[in-house]
Amino acid sequence: MFRSIRFGLALAAAGFLTLATASAETIKLGAILPLTGPGGLIGTQQQKGIQFALDHINAKGGVRGNKIEVVFEDNQAKPDQSILSFNKLVDLQSLPIIFTAYSGPSLAMAPLATRKKVLLVNAGAQADALAKASPFLINTLPTIGDEIAVLCQWLVKNGKKNAAILFENSAAGISGRDNYVTHFKAAGGTIVAQEPTQFGQTDFRPALLKLADAKPEVMLVSITAAAQQMAQQYKQLDLKFAVAGTTFLQDPALIADPAAEGFMHTQLQSQSPPALAAEFKQKYNAEMEFFVRQYYTASNILFAAMDKVLEEKKPITGENVRDAILKIKNFSGLVPVVFNSNTASVPFDLKVIRGGHDEQMVELKAQ
Amino acid sequence: MLALQLLVNGLVTGSALGLVAISFSLIYSTTKIFHVAHAGVYTMAGYVAWSLASRGAPDIVTLAVTVAASMAMGAFIQHQLYARLERRRATPLVVLIASLGALAVMQNVIAAIYSPNILQFPVPWGSKMVVLGGVRLTWTQILTVIASLAAYGATIWFFHRTILGKQIRAVASNPFLAEITRLYPQRVYVIVVAIGSAIVALPGILVPLDLGLQPYSGVTPLLTATIAMIAGGIGSITGSFVIAIGIAVLQNLSLLVIPGEWSIGITFFIFVIFMLFRPTGLFAAAR
Repeated sequence: MFRSIRFGLALAAAGFLTLATASAETIKLGAILPLTGPGGLIGTQQQKGIQFALDHINAKGGVRGNKIEVVFEDNQAKPDQSILSFNKLVDLQSLPIIFTAYSGPSLAMAPLATRKKVLLVNAGAQADALAKASPFLINTLPTIGDEIAVLCQWLVKNGKKNAAILFENSAAGISGRDNYVTHFKAAGGTIVAQEPTQFGQTDFRPALLKLADAKPEVMLVSITAAAQQMAQQYKQLDLKFAVAGTTFLQDPALIADPAAEGFMHTQLQSQSPPALAAEFKQKYNAEMEFFVRQYYTASNILFAAMDKVLEEKKPITGENVRDAILKIKNFSGLVPVVFNSNTASVPFDLKVIRGGHDEQMVELKAQ
Repeated sequence: MLALQLLVNGLVTGSALGLVAISFSLIYSTTKIFHVAHAGVYTMAGYVAWSLASRGAPDIVTLAVTVAASMAMGAFIQHQLYARLERRRATPLVVLIASLGALAVMQNVIAAIYSPNILQFPVPWGSKMVVLGGVRLTWTQILTVIASLAAYGATIWFFHRTILGKQIRAVASNPFLAEITRLYPQRVYVIVVAIGSAIVALPGILVPLDLGLQPYSGVTPLLTATIAMIAGGIGSITGSFVIAIGIAVLQNLSLLVIPGEWSIGITFFIFVIFMLFRPTGLFAAAR
């Protein structure tokens, strides 16, 4: 009897030892991203950004000797699918940190993250609600309101006093719409019309026609997909008002399309050094686009915070890593990122699309 | 002018939807299978056409090959999936789930091969503008209306004037009697799904030519087409076509009085009310 108890205890001890050794060697993180569906283009860019950073850190031996691994889950940018993926990664695999994207899915997972003390790291979504959604949600970019406030002031100051709003009927699109209404009016302008579109929809003609009927001087855009199709239909309908948007309009296909000539958009500052961009291109046969850079930067912020946690001989938990990010506060990577709260502040520019390229008009600073 | 432009846009969208509705109605009324994978054939047609167009194939070759590929895919699904399930006496629910599975497979294979990005057709003439009485249209939109009306007329003619068309109607009307009279319903089902797939290939090419190509874009037109089929009267080609156009026109014109986010809900609310008073559909008696 005692022999079998001793044998059982020995087995259990061996099991614990094995687990402990395994956790010391590999730290597993999660990433719930839209790898398919209308958000698939952006989601796969985000995935490559994480993978690229992962390859770099693991090539250097990992974080304090611990290799990093990321388990990717596809949520198709859907909140309900995100919840299923979250539960799978947290309940079945006990992952302490999860990368997230898109406002709807991130907001859906935020209460669960708070309850289960799992750190969500968002480097792509910008709805205002994200700033206060959860103490366990870290946003490595500012919310859309910061960009829109400054953009609206600039537009009104430069004579565009009547605006129409084209927005996507999603968490991010509606947040953008609400900010346009608030900040454009606050800047002294008037909103003459607003029309929604559905996420992934490519027929913008009815909405554009209705907005044009209100005779705006500028159309403020808050859509996260199909901007190129919107621009083409704007051109086909021979519309004359100016078009302005946020970082959402940082779409290579849109910028390259002659139909988008003269479109203005704010753009979070983010540059990749030529050597890094070349390495990325060689590895993935693609440009190091904005969302690649965003998630590359977010991954490196996370690795730096994890390094600090391990240096302090604490376990890697969502809470410890979040505290480390807020304690380090200033991160210098592809762009300076400062955490005065759980939402970072990053400088941004106002750009105009000319001849298939983005040209800088003016550097703006959030107030 | 806004009302006229919205009306014309509705007619264009409705023409394309009308062909999806006709094809879905033909398949459903004959086979009694809720062929959700039809949305996958619609999507596949666009990608086949895009592949050929981007390799410089002449437009007529692109059209012919795409229609043939769609027919083959439709026939394959009927012969290798639905017919097998029927031989095993699968319930309609099982067949529906199998069809949903086939759709998911097709969408994901397409996304894996072509990426989930929105693709543009490399056909410059498609986006060239024509101004008719102050209404601005692309050549693709004009072609969509012409092709849809032609396909609608051809379908009516085929089912009322040809022997094969009459055989299909006979099988749709009473498959048991058709079996006795050696019409071989299973063979007719394959033919009907192939014909339906050929018809749906047209909007499958023309809509993405105008609005861009996405792997998951087939479900929404199919949903509207299903409603058009039911409201038009199941089995009525004219009913499906007219109601599909009506839905699209109503959705566009409703923007004159209500915000866009309400247009889909209110349009379908009107149809729910309509169905309460005429549950067999508007054109049911014309079958």
